Amino acid sequence: MMLKTTISPVFSSFRGKPKTSRLIFQACKAVLEDAPPGARRNASTNLTTLHQGPPTSAYVHLPFCRKRCHYCDFPILALGSSSSNLYEERKEDDPRITNYVNLLVREINATRTGFDTKPNLETVFFGGGTPSLVPPKLVSLVLETLSLNFGLSPDAEISMEMDPGTFGAQKLKELMELGVNRVSLGVQAFQDELLKACGRAHGVSQVYEAIEFLKECGVENWSMDLISSLPHQTLEMWEESLRLAIESQPNHVSVYDLQVEQGTKFGNVYTPGQSPLPSETQSAEFYKTASSMLRGAGYEHYEVSSYSKDGFKCKHNLIYWKNKPFYAFGLGSASYVGGLRFSRPRKLKEYTNYVTDLEKGAANWCGNGDVDLKDVATDILMLSFRTSKGLQLEEFGEAFGREVVNSICKVYEPYVESGHIVCLDDMRREVMSDEFKSLVANDEVKIEDHVRYLRLRDPDGFLLSNELISLAFGVVSP
Amino acid sequence: MAMASAMDLSPPTFFLSGTSSSSSSLRRLSSISVSSFRRHSNRRLHVLCQATAGTQPQSGLSDSGSKLAARSGQDRLLKVPISKIRNFSIIAHIDHGKSTLADKLLQVTGTVQNRDMKEQFLDNMDLERERGITIKLQAARMRYVYEDTPYCLNLIDTPGHVDFSYEVSRSLAACEGALLVVDASQGVEAQTLANVYLALENNLEIIPVVNKIDLPGAEPEQVIREIEEVIGLDCSKAILCSAKEGIGITEILDAIVQRIPPPRDTAEKPLRALIFDSYYDPYRGVIVYFRVIDGKVKKGDKIFFMASGKDYFADEIGVLSPNQIQVDELYAGEVGYISASIRSVADARVGDTITTYSRKAESSLPGYEEATPMVFCGLFPVDADQFPDLRDALEKLQLNDAALKFEPETSSAMGFGFRCGFLGLLHMEIVQERLEREYNLNLITTAPSVVYRVNTVNGDTTMCSNPSLLPQPGQRKSVEEPYVKIELLTPKDYIGALMELAQDRRGEFKEMKYIAENRASLIYELPLAEMVGDFFDQLKSRTKGYASMEYSVIGYRESDLIKLDILINAELVEPLSTIVHRDKAYSVGRALTQKLKELIPRQMFKVPIQACIGSKVIASEALSAIRKDVLAKCYGGDISRKKKLLKKQAAGKKRMKAIGRVDVPQEAFMAVLKLEREVL
Repeated sequence: MMLKTTISPVFSSFRGKPKTSRLIFQACKAVLEDAPPGARRNASTNLTTLHQGPPTSAYVHLPFCRKRCHYCDFPILALGSSSSNLYEERKEDDPRITNYVNLLVREINATRTGFDTKPNLETVFFGGGTPSLVPPKLVSLVLETLSLNFGLSPDAEISMEMDPGTFGAQKLKELMELGVNRVSLGVQAFQDELLKACGRAHGVSQVYEAIEFLKECGVENWSMDLISSLPHQTLEMWEESLRLAIESQPNHVSVYDLQVEQGTKFGNVYTPGQSPLPSETQSAEFYKTASSMLRGAGYEHYEVSSYSKDGFKCKHNLIYWKNKPFYAFGLGSASYVGGLRFSRPRKLKEYTNYVTDLEKGAANWCGNGDVDLKDVATDILMLSFRTSKGLQLEEFGEAFGREVVNSICKVYEPYVESGHIVCLDDMRREVMSDEFKSLVANDEVKIEDHVRYLRLRDPDGFLLSNELISLAFGVVSP
Repeated sequence: MAMASAMDLSPPTFFLSGTSSSSSSLRRLSSISVSSFRRHSNRRLHVLCQATAGTQPQSGLSDSGSKLAARSGQDRLLKVPISKIRNFSIIAHIDHGKSTLADKLLQVTGTVQNRDMKEQFLDNMDLERERGITIKLQAARMRYVYEDTPYCLNLIDTPGHVDFSYEVSRSLAACEGALLVVDASQGVEAQTLANVYLALENNLEIIPVVNKIDLPGAEPEQVIREIEEVIGLDCSKAILCSAKEGIGITEILDAIVQRIPPPRDTAEKPLRALIFDSYYDPYRGVIVYFRVIDGKVKKGDKIFFMASGKDYFADEIGVLSPNQIQVDELYAGEVGYISASIRSVADARVGDTITTYSRKAESSLPGYEEATPMVFCGLFPVDADQFPDLRDALEKLQLNDAALKFEPETSSAMGFGFRCGFLGLLHMEIVQERLEREYNLNLITTAPSVVYRVNTVNGDTTMCSNPSLLPQPGQRKSVEEPYVKIELLTPKDYIGALMELAQDRRGEFKEMKYIAENRASLIYELPLAEMVGDFFDQLKSRTKGYASMEYSVIGYRESDLIKLDILINAELVEPLSTIVHRDKAYSVGRALTQKLKELIPRQMFKVPIQACIGSKVIASEALSAIRKDVLAKCYGGDISRKKKLLKKQAAGKKRMKAIGRVDVPQEAFMAVLKLEREVL
């Protein structure tokens, strides 16, 4: 209690006064202009200023799907699966797609950032929906527009989410030629009955075909998405999916644990933890199985739901985990620029109006409001703890006050002891819990000198990440 | 014209009233529940009515009989000789029609106009009306002309609950007679019986009245036989009435005059007045209701309270009719009130004797008792910031309720609060409800407990009402607990069910007798601790509401009592500790651990929940660890929803109390405390 109250002054003194490199956009201007010199910090190293520079990443939302999956609550536009030939370009472009891409291009063009420096984009991520339903020439249009407005680094990572059954070798080749160099393949499961039960528009045979296309086209950097805890899924099925995933040799695997969201078909029919969904215990077992099998196959579990072979982490997603800024374009997409998170309208009509307003200068492209350092701190906590790197204590303490670090350590002490949280020194060797305990107890010691990182243990800590992160939230906002 | 003359004599008889509210005029929660707000608004209304009364045409449509009654009602301040005074109360079980009868008496005697009665029905204390009981009492002076001679009748109301049996005994002591009202379809109930015995002890003339004879299920003959058999009263002159229909009211009034003896004429002796009620008025201080037994009291007299030893000047004296009407003097046999800027009801307790300071009586009137709290519980504010408010509220209530005791208590789980003592369970509930309703406090109540007498090995005897303060087993020689004698009256079909209940509650069977063909009386002795839980609720539910009960404390007895502790993750949770009989420890322990397991959210680790006697675990449950709580889903960098969830989760933790490493929600404490009340 004592500790918690000592934290608030630290925050209030920093609030709204981060150092600025002359950000011109209206939103942050008022707050940032009169920052006293004393509050200025080195923008290159400080977590509180990390978000202030111009982004070098862009998320582009391409919302089209053949149909909505039963678990999905994303902003998508379902096209229907009437087309008989899904693998190749439709004869005539679907006007819905063309119109949307034109709107998207207008949004990008209307985004006048006003940053002094204009670093090239280093990562672009086409997410959806099913971006692979968009004809390559329209993808090309988007990339050109991005390049014209922001510049595109020649070795930028350009990822695209693709679903089996929505592309063939020809289309894939075209996309690769446009610069797409990373594919995230939405496989989800290797059992037809499970795919069907969750409303996927493809079957297992299309999965194998898609993998063939990837190999044929020489896509080296590709990721496979799997979902665990699907209805009717058994441990045997899950192990089979993981085994087949490993055999297909992607360099990256994302394992998502099914979240039953309100308003989705699953949300209406199923209750988490109850049949036909696996129990909480089974579900935890699935998570652990994924962790051990994939790590056993040479993947690094570098984030709660991400695994990669050496050198194949998703650079775009790392931007998220590091709390760095990124642009976002398209229906319902969320950007993070100048310390502000901003979500675009999720409905097409409203999004259309938004783009028109943006062009007229009547709408803001990155959100309004002040930057609350408490929000920055909690963002960093929740994002850092999702990664295997964990929270860098020194850096966090410099940004938000050493008292916060001490309090977090105090709150986490029992969980270091129980093994849910791992303490690491500067060589990333584990600091044992007894030593950590005595460090916490000793007010003379600067914990950060001995413990450089706190991270959630894989898989036990990751499995309880919400509980553990919310404990740290309690320290920051008592 | 009758009305005009009435106007000259006194203010209009009626005003909207919280002070003299009741169903109507008689029932008032004087020392227990009149808020200052109500009194305040009440006084304003009083003024308003006085101002308009003169100009308002009275409804002149009533027949000549009621006009006559009304006139005599208006004359009720006129003095009559002591031999023409009749002081009486009404003894009745809940719902047997006491209030309706009282209202009818007031109406027929013209004390309260027909027109005004309805209004009074509307203006009633919520608590009292909801519970359908009279908690505290008040008085009404009526004038009744019998055979052309005016009489002054004082009705002194009695509360109808055992928690207040002392108050009942004092109001009975202020009377020479009583109406025993029994519902013609229900028969005699245990509580009625207890009060009749009290009345007989006070040598009161009892007039049996069988009420509700108009109801289809009425069996007046049967009920009369029951009264004769059970109480041994001569019922040859029992009056059959229906207060609701106005049947038999005149007969009752006549019987009061004929059969109840007048007060003794001791007006020349030094003053002795018996306090039968008092309440705190924030503007005038304590208002004391009394019956003059000997001597007389005048406005301006310096009076002396013999038990509290306090003296005050009688700023104002008056009669209750049913509202307060000032007079100059009251003499032996009369009933009235005194306002003397008395600071707290503790200075003028019920049962105390008022005498004149300059001419003190030799001895006080018999029967005065200090209030002894029998039931205790801890009261804690849900929101710790409300602690000062709770203290203020308790202090205010105490001004008006001398029986309420409290002292600060600190609990590791619930923070700062108070340990409070009450006369009984109803008293406890009323105080809790008033704190929550009138003072907007949100409270957690611990299980009620009784006061144990602990004999220690070094020969000391200490009283202990708080389980956490019970001396260690090594230091205790023996523990005694208060016992009560209960009498249960029940239709014979439920005898088995009640015997089972009493035996479950460690009851010792004493006696059973049939009071009528179909009804029996059961007498048990059992520990008070067994009664403070849901005994009464059980009694009602097991007999479909037909049984009634009455209890009296009969003293302390040694019992095999132990302290039952609850450990969560090996940490003692003090507020959940209870003192129970060894034979019950296992079942209570099991129930508590099971409930806690249900209510405590799962933690990141396995949590044992144990019930222990000393170091011996007698019941144990385990809360399994959370297996998975992770959001493993990608939102295209949109973390806002994830963050919202985490914030909510963090906020949820703040509402919990940490017992060691375990977060226990406040609701779990409350539910367990409630359960303790049920299982103990």
